[in-house]
Amino acid sequence: MGIAIRNISKHFGAFRALDDVSIDIPSGELVALLGPSGCGKTTLLRIIAGLEHADAGSILLDGEDASSQHVRERNVGFVFQHYALFRHMTVFENVAFGLRVKPRKERPSSAEIRKRVYRLLELVQLDWLADRYPSQLSGGQRQRIALARALAVEPRVLLLDEPFGALDAKVRKELRRWLRRLHDEIHVTSVFVTHDQEEALEVADRVVLLNKGQVEQIGSPDEIYDHPNSPFVAGFLGSVNLFHGRVEDGHLHVGEHALPVGEGQGALDEAVGYVRPHEFDLLPATADSGIPAKIERVISVGPVAQIELTREDGELIEVEVYRDALDELGLREGDRVSLRPRAIRVFRKEPLAA
Amino acid sequence: MSASIALPGATDRYEAPSTREPLWVKVTLITLALSFFAVFLLLPLGTVFAEALRKGWGTYLTVLVEPDALASIRLTLLVAAIAVPLNLVFGVAAAWAIAKFEFPGKRLLITFIDLPFSVSPVISGLIYVLMFGAQGWFGPWLAEHDVKIIFAVPGIVLATVFVTFPFVARELIPLMEAQGTEEEEAAVVLGASGWQVFWHTTLPNIKWGLLYGVILCNARAMGEFGAVSVVSGHIRGKTNTMPLHVEILYNEYNYAAAFAVASLLALLALVTLGLKALVERQANRQRREALRERAESSGE
Repeated sequence: MGIAIRNISKHFGAFRALDDVSIDIPSGELVALLGPSGCGKTTLLRIIAGLEHADAGSILLDGEDASSQHVRERNVGFVFQHYALFRHMTVFENVAFGLRVKPRKERPSSAEIRKRVYRLLELVQLDWLADRYPSQLSGGQRQRIALARALAVEPRVLLLDEPFGALDAKVRKELRRWLRRLHDEIHVTSVFVTHDQEEALEVADRVVLLNKGQVEQIGSPDEIYDHPNSPFVAGFLGSVNLFHGRVEDGHLHVGEHALPVGEGQGALDEAVGYVRPHEFDLLPATADSGIPAKIERVISVGPVAQIELTREDGELIEVEVYRDALDELGLREGDRVSLRPRAIRVFRKEPLAA
Repeated sequence: MSASIALPGATDRYEAPSTREPLWVKVTLITLALSFFAVFLLLPLGTVFAEALRKGWGTYLTVLVEPDALASIRLTLLVAAIAVPLNLVFGVAAAWAIAKFEFPGKRLLITFIDLPFSVSPVISGLIYVLMFGAQGWFGPWLAEHDVKIIFAVPGIVLATVFVTFPFVARELIPLMEAQGTEEEEAAVVLGASGWQVFWHTTLPNIKWGLLYGVILCNARAMGEFGAVSVVSGHIRGKTNTMPLHVEILYNEYNYAAAFAVASLLALLALVTLGLKALVERQANRQRREALRERAESSGE
């Protein structure tokens, strides 16, 4: 049951939330809508569900135009960031709600409802909480119940709005693995919204990166991480170091130093090279290639050392290496090294790029 | 001081020496407050019952079953029985629209809901006389069709509905705003119809606040004097509500009867207060829960 988003635009007053967005989501995929806050991702999700009305464009669910369908007829499952469980109903009644409000003809018998609710509660591994009220549950439990409730009506698509946003770091990590496994089990086409790039890269089959109401890039997590097609994407998917210079003969010339960028790259007068902190090799200062820098600070975070270095012109560079590797090299604060990037992504310098 | 900050709500907040006043200040303030309370609240209430029963229970009961008194009681109950359900429906509808939807003119609507609170009840009554009275806008038309509104029961009901309109809506708006719209959205996505959303998610979440609003609305509907006095015409046994009947009896120096009917109203007030205290606790709990859940989920 695929979703096709066709030329959707939405304004809130003068603010342009979505600008001609088109995305195809194949059946059975788990897709992340990723972007900074205010990029329109939640609005797009709510438009797919029908909770928000688009100014222009259409939504196709399973090939048929759903744009004029009422929310309750679209048969989608929606999981809210703050769970939105019915606080005066038990967990069982919450999950049963979607079945109980069906028209009499379609409504399952109460024995059937009971069976289905318990099957869902087992699926989210919370059948022992059936008689509790939402206020008696932890955040992670509430979100799993919200998911079970959304699945009870056997939705064509499952939409999740920042599903882990209100949870603490450890629970969030557990839950997103669990969501991935659950999706592998039930294979319902799912779209989830997140501003956390790690979450998107870890959970999704494909990632849609949105910025200022427009699609920046669509691709598998590896594709968009390794081959960002714009400075924004490169910058959003984790920290980067910037090298300003010009490209000639397959090299990025930064001051008097030249960094190889591959033959495929055409010449550019004003270029910016993006290098991620973990994509550097640390060489002795005497090496004949790379950019000379001085180690200012070493911060250990578990097995990884984050190193802050300064270039000759005073600019800061962040590098990440394994601590054992750092120990082997015998480097410490104040030492001089030569930095050689293993990969550089080069973009034309934008006139007003941040 | 630091202890009271570290343990908010703990009882020792009142014991902290740094915030304790000398004994004489405490005694003076408490005496002052209690005497004020006794003179201005308890004494009049006591007087009503004392005066009503001055000539004994026998007289008390005879004046109450006197036909005009009974008629006024019946009329008061009838007016409340019409006005309160109407305002229950209007109030819920208004609060639902204001708290759950965005639309142009929303602030204006909120101001209008407060209008009956800010306008003197006498003016409210006068408005209806100007509209439906013999010389009013619709007066001739109504006379032609033989419909009586002013100086009749419909006028009294209209005036009462107007005066008591804000109670339910005012009580519900903050509660519904605190609860937000996510639960309703969740219900709609799950396929619930508009009525199902209202019955199964909105109403259970506001029931205590609603009951509280209805109790206040009812108390005012039965006790309203000014607006009703203008439109009623004071026809004995026909258009006199209890408050109006009390006034008539009092003006006729029939103190025992006046106080007897007044004691019924006072009794109603006491019952209302009791109910209010009970329901208020539940209503506050509901609002606190809504606010806390909000804070919890958005704070993290």
